[in-house]
Amino acid sequence: MGVLHSEIPSGVGSKGKIRLSPQDERRLLTSGARWAVENGYGEASDLERIESGGYIEGADPELISQKAYERGRAQQGTLGSGNHFLEIQYVDEIYDEKAAQALGLFRDQMTVMIHTGSRGFGHQVCTDFLEVMERAVSKYGIELPDKELACAPFNSPEARDYLAAMRAAANYAWANRQCIMHWAREAFLRVFAATPKDLGMGLIYDVAHNIAKVEDHIVDGKNMKLIVHRKGATRAFPPGHPELPAAYGKTGQPVLIPGDMGRASFVLIGTEKAMQETFGSTCHGAGRMMSRHQAIRRAKGRAIWREMEDKGIIVRSAGRETLAEEMPEAYKDITNVVDVVHNAGISRKVARLRPMGVIKG
Amino acid sequence: MGIEKLRRIDGTRMEVPVDYKAGMRVRGIIYVDEVLDDALENQSVEQVANVATLPGIVRASLAMPDIHTGYGFAIGGVAAFDIKEGIISPGGVGYDIN
Repeated sequence: MGVLHSEIPSGVGSKGKIRLSPQDERRLLTSGARWAVENGYGEASDLERIESGGYIEGADPELISQKAYERGRAQQGTLGSGNHFLEIQYVDEIYDEKAAQALGLFRDQMTVMIHTGSRGFGHQVCTDFLEVMERAVSKYGIELPDKELACAPFNSPEARDYLAAMRAAANYAWANRQCIMHWAREAFLRVFAATPKDLGMGLIYDVAHNIAKVEDHIVDGKNMKLIVHRKGATRAFPPGHPELPAAYGKTGQPVLIPGDMGRASFVLIGTEKAMQETFGSTCHGAGRMMSRHQAIRRAKGRAIWREMEDKGIIVRSAGRETLAEEMPEAYKDITNVVDVVHNAGISRKVARLRPMGVIKG
Repeated sequence: MGIEKLRRIDGTRMEVPVDYKAGMRVRGIIYVDEVLDDALENQSVEQVANVATLPGIVRASLAMPDIHTGYGFAIGGVAAFDIKEGIISPGGVGYDIN
């Protein structure tokens, strides 16, 4: 845990060890995890197990503000704070043997889960374009019940620009996780003095959960091109979907659902029913029950790290407040959440993962 | 307006009916069972209904069982818009892109 914590920069506004030239920056924003692999972070074979192959086309670095560049420059390859984490886990329950085998999962296996995104870069892209969209709302005369729904017609220049900037941020996130995964592998190789082959730390899947994508769906028997917004929702494509890698073609898309740091996380697979009902989508996590503020109040006078250690979970965190915000009781029980999507048939449970070690920002 | 206007469709889904609020073009559907429906916040249900008023929305304004209140759109929300008549909204993606 100590090696992982020192190798992987974390915490609010954390700075990474990657220094990007302007050319690198452009390449990273247009080719995501591919840029990472080209620069020695991970293996080419990782890319086929990342949603969209690790990058989304149509990103335009020209549309990114100076401020977003400034925020993003030093943060590539960093975990950040808030609900972002890296966990060492073990598989304690298999629900679907066949699917688990296809994904390479088995009981008592050790797994590493990484949850982070586009850091300050994506945050700034969102901030910048909310302003653009607020102007677009009056320009196009869109009536809204809440100004926070600021938007623009999909075929407008404002929408085109947002989509291209959002795609750059999505690529930033894919590159970020790829770099962090690479360092996690290196840390394990060093600590266990093993070869990559012995350790077998292959990527199972990398999936987005805050993104808008143009996708083909059938609605009322008609083929339609849709712009699907998933905000805290995970893509869950069924077996046979053309976007799945060959290895998962018969199984369905792996879906990773992180829970809070004290309980569990789950691996599921996508289903045909998700295509029919939810545009191929499912849940993304436990979901907060307490605000960050409430959680901090509730944690007063407690040592959350010790409570976790009593449960056999080692926690490393830069900030005491992060641990308070992220304490298990601030979240819904992940088991209840996953049961709903499983019982509704919009994804299927494959395995449960229990945390052993948690790195929080 | 309020959670009492929701209708249970089946064991895992609640409907936010089209008449929940003026201007809704489609209904809302929240994937939630009887274990989790106590945790539903008024404001996040309101957000599911608000999204249903947006131009070009298709099928339904959807929310997953991990739903909670977010910026404009609920976190745990899924909304799809026809690219010919619909919109795109940064609030539907959120700040933590990807």
